[in-house]
Formats: sequence, structure tokens, C-alpha cells
Amino acid sequence: MSSRRSRGIPRITDEQIIELVSKLQQLLPELRNRRSNKASASKVLQETCNYVRSLHKEVDDLSDRLSRLLSTIDDDSPQASIIRSLIN
Amino acid sequence: MSPPQQPSSTNPNSLKIRLTHRFLHNLNNLNKKRSNLDNTQIHQRYNRVKLAAYASMAHVVGSRRAWSRAILWKIRNRKVSTRHKRVDHKPTNHHHARSIKRRTTNHSNPKREYVDPNGNSGQEVKLRKLVPGVETMDACGLLDETADYIKCLATQVEVMRNLVDLFSTI
Repeated sequence: MSSRRSRGIPRITDEQIIELVSKLQQLLPELRNRRSNKASASKVLQETCNYVRSLHKEVDDLSDRLSRLLSTIDDDSPQASIIRSLIN
Repeated sequence: MSPPQQPSSTNPNSLKIRLTHRFLHNLNNLNKKRSNLDNTQIHQRYNRVKLAAYASMAHVVGSRRAWSRAILWKIRNRKVSTRHKRVDHKPTNHHHARSIKRRTTNHSNPKREYVDPNGNSGQEVKLRKLVPGVETMDACGLLDETADYIKCLATQVEVMRNLVDLFSTI
């Protein structure tokens, strides 16, 4: 399979992967603070999966809170006009 | 969350501002549509807010990224199917996945059998399920898309957190 790849399609170099993995590592809150040069690729991937899952869960949670807050705001109240002024 | 230091095309500050504008705009539309609420519609509103969050994320990034294209496509498909009262989304999704595969000239292994040299098969497969639009991408593209997706998702979360704080204090 790898020989088929190297014929016409440009091979992805290890360096490219390492660079992308380290870039990813910088974005992860868990691994960013480590002073080590790089964590293992599998560790970075694992943390990435965990982080994406936690972000999804946060979006769910914040959507829930936002929807409840929005429902309590009466359309004619001063709060609603504040929100409207934010948007315009 | 402090903005990343490396230079990137998505400057976090302007991204945050753009996301805020777009999300507030979507929320306002939401508010206009359903002015009378009872408890049975709370869940519906929750879904709409969540949809607005992902929609505004994808709209701000536009068609520059595979993940944003995938989200935008999913939203359009959902709108069309609710209009025609079609319940089954799955056939159209597979059809589109096939057509996307033809456009990106990537003929690497299908997701199920993918094992990269580092033996990261398990994690990569999981990642492909989490990030939209990367199912048929190669490893490089996958990592690149994931990084961008994480950046935008984290900024969106920050925007939503700020809004929740704001709305709960006014």
C-alpha cells in the first residue's frame, strides 16, 4: 500500500506530521504548559480527542444555559433592548 | 483562554469578534421566531441555540475549511429535509461523502482500515468521528483541520460563556 502511495501522490513526510502534531499540541490546554519539546503523537491525538469532546460538551451545556436565559427575558423588558442594541 | 502566540490566518481577536456578532445575530433571529415559550419548547430552543452556535462558527469561517463546509452542508440538508418533511438523512449524507471523496483526490484507505506508521489507528479513527468533514482526509489534512476546528470551537465557547455571563447579570 505504501509503495502505491509513493508513486504519483506526494508522500507526507514525517517532518510535516511532527510539525502539525506540535502545532496541535500548542492548542491543547493539557499539554501546552509542559516544557518538554514534544509529547508523543499518540498522546497528542488522545488529548485532542478528549479536548474536542469536552468542547462539544461545553457547547451543549452553554447552549442549555443560554436557551434558559433567553426564555426568561421578556421581549419588552429593558434587558431585551440591551441585547438588541448589542446586535445593531 | 489566552490567544495562541503563533501567527495564523485566524487572528483570535477578530475571530472572536466576528463569532460574537454572528452568534448574536443568529440568537436574535431565534428570539424573534419564538416569542411565546412554555416548558415543552425549552428543549427545542436548546437545540436551536446549539445549532446557531455551530452555524455561526461555520458561517464565519465560510467554505475555507473542510469542517466548516461539512457543517454548512449538514445545516442546509437539514433545512431542506424539514421543508420537504423527509426524515431519513442518511442516504444523502453518503452520497455527498462520495462526491467529496472524488473532489479531494485522496485515495487512501477507507476509515475502517486506516493504520498509520505510528500505529495510531484507534485515535485517528476517533478523531475523524469528532471533527466534521475529515473522514476521507489524509493524516496531514486531518491534523490541520483539527487544529483549526479546535481554535474556532474554543473561541465559540468563549463567546458563549461571555454571553451567558452577560445575560445572567443584566
